[in-house]
Amino acid sequence: MQELLLNIFDKPLGIIIFQLILATRFTIYLSLIAFIGGGLVALLITFLRIYPSKIFNYISFAYTWLFQSLPLLMLLFIIGLGIPKFIGKDFDPWYAASISLILFTSAYLSEVWRGAIQAIPNGQWEGGRALNLNFVQTLRLIIIPQVYRYSIAPTVSFLIQIIKGTSLAYIIGFQDLMLLGKRWANSPVIGSEPFIIFPIMAVLYFCLCYPLAIYAKYLEKKYIIEN
Amino acid sequence: MDFRFFEIYRSSEYLNLLFEGVLISSSLTVVSGLLGFIIAFFLAASIYWKVIPCNYFSICWIDFIRNTPLIVQLFFVTFGLPLLFEYVWPFWAHALLALTINFTGYFGEILRSGYNSTPKDQLEAANSLNLNKMTIFRKIVLPHTLIKMFPSLSSQFIFIFLTTGIISEIGVNDLTHAGLYIDSRTFRTFEIFIILSFLYVALSLLFKSSLEIIFNKTLKKRM
Repeated sequence: MQELLLNIFDKPLGIIIFQLILATRFTIYLSLIAFIGGGLVALLITFLRIYPSKIFNYISFAYTWLFQSLPLLMLLFIIGLGIPKFIGKDFDPWYAASISLILFTSAYLSEVWRGAIQAIPNGQWEGGRALNLNFVQTLRLIIIPQVYRYSIAPTVSFLIQIIKGTSLAYIIGFQDLMLLGKRWANSPVIGSEPFIIFPIMAVLYFCLCYPLAIYAKYLEKKYIIEN
Repeated sequence: MDFRFFEIYRSSEYLNLLFEGVLISSSLTVVSGLLGFIIAFFLAASIYWKVIPCNYFSICWIDFIRNTPLIVQLFFVTFGLPLLFEYVWPFWAHALLALTINFTGYFGEILRSGYNSTPKDQLEAANSLNLNKMTIFRKIVLPHTLIKMFPSLSSQFIFIFLTTGIISEIGVNDLTHAGLYIDSRTFRTFEIFIILSFLYVALSLLFKSSLEIIFNKTLKKRM
């Protein structure tokens, strides 16, 4: 692949593009970690939010409220710089970036899913009770199949927010597309001026995000027609 | 392992820095939000009216801005454009431009979907009254859009406000920049970022409630 890029572009630019594409791997990995981890945490938080118990509801509400109103940048600073200094122990940027993105993702995703669950009419819950199903059975057999179609499109489009959010992780030294691109842009190599590097990076991010945006739009249309 | 918040709040220099940061962060966001809203209004209108070259440009622009991170746009505007066109601006002007560009993308998308979601019967009624296109847009499409999309607009505004901390990366003296400065002076990293988070949350609540008041004062009467 490096050969191909070197043939198409000139000496410095081909290498730069190759390295940037390689560094995009880490952006993708981090996004996947954040999405899967955040999704699992969000499942738990959403479950606590709709579980018929006041205390659980408050805990989950506080969690979502807190991590939705904290800026992602502050989460990264607190977890990546603040806590290590506080307990006197260094964190790997991977851990810090993953944890802060998981917290960020889980708060937003659980809010999306809660909204979808609350859009289900109350009669469905009552129907479940009339059939003598318990809470978990009602959720599994009646609510979740219906929630799926409301929540799938916003979930996919939130994935775009996560990918864009990973670009902030370079601030605590996470080596991804952003950090590498910024290094190249600062380097004195001719042909790696900022006005060349940053558009290339923008195009790479665009290639990651735009298919998801189209897919989200497609899902939205599909489920609206079915409704 | 102890909290030493007093190192921060006892020094008037640090308090002044934080106060200045709050002012700069919020004023940059508000100004760029307003500018972005005005430009987004025209972008979305050109898509709605199908003004031939402009609407394709607007669609591409909105999609491109929405699918690239703010920080890449910021760095391109700050370090790329001045080299390309050879101009020198202060840092805050670059930040203002980048934030405005970001706002146009998001607001443009919201307004576009708002224009298209005007109820059909309203448009038919307007047509049967023989109103011209401009009047329909001004009296029917626009109020519908603003009322329906106000919650999305305000939450998007707050979401972008929460990401504005990265403008400190290019040297604007905003809230995050003040925090990083104090951190480098006192080494109380944990405490200062907790204070910053608190300030950001407070500011976003302030924005949220003031936007709600604006909504109640202006648009609620027409609902």
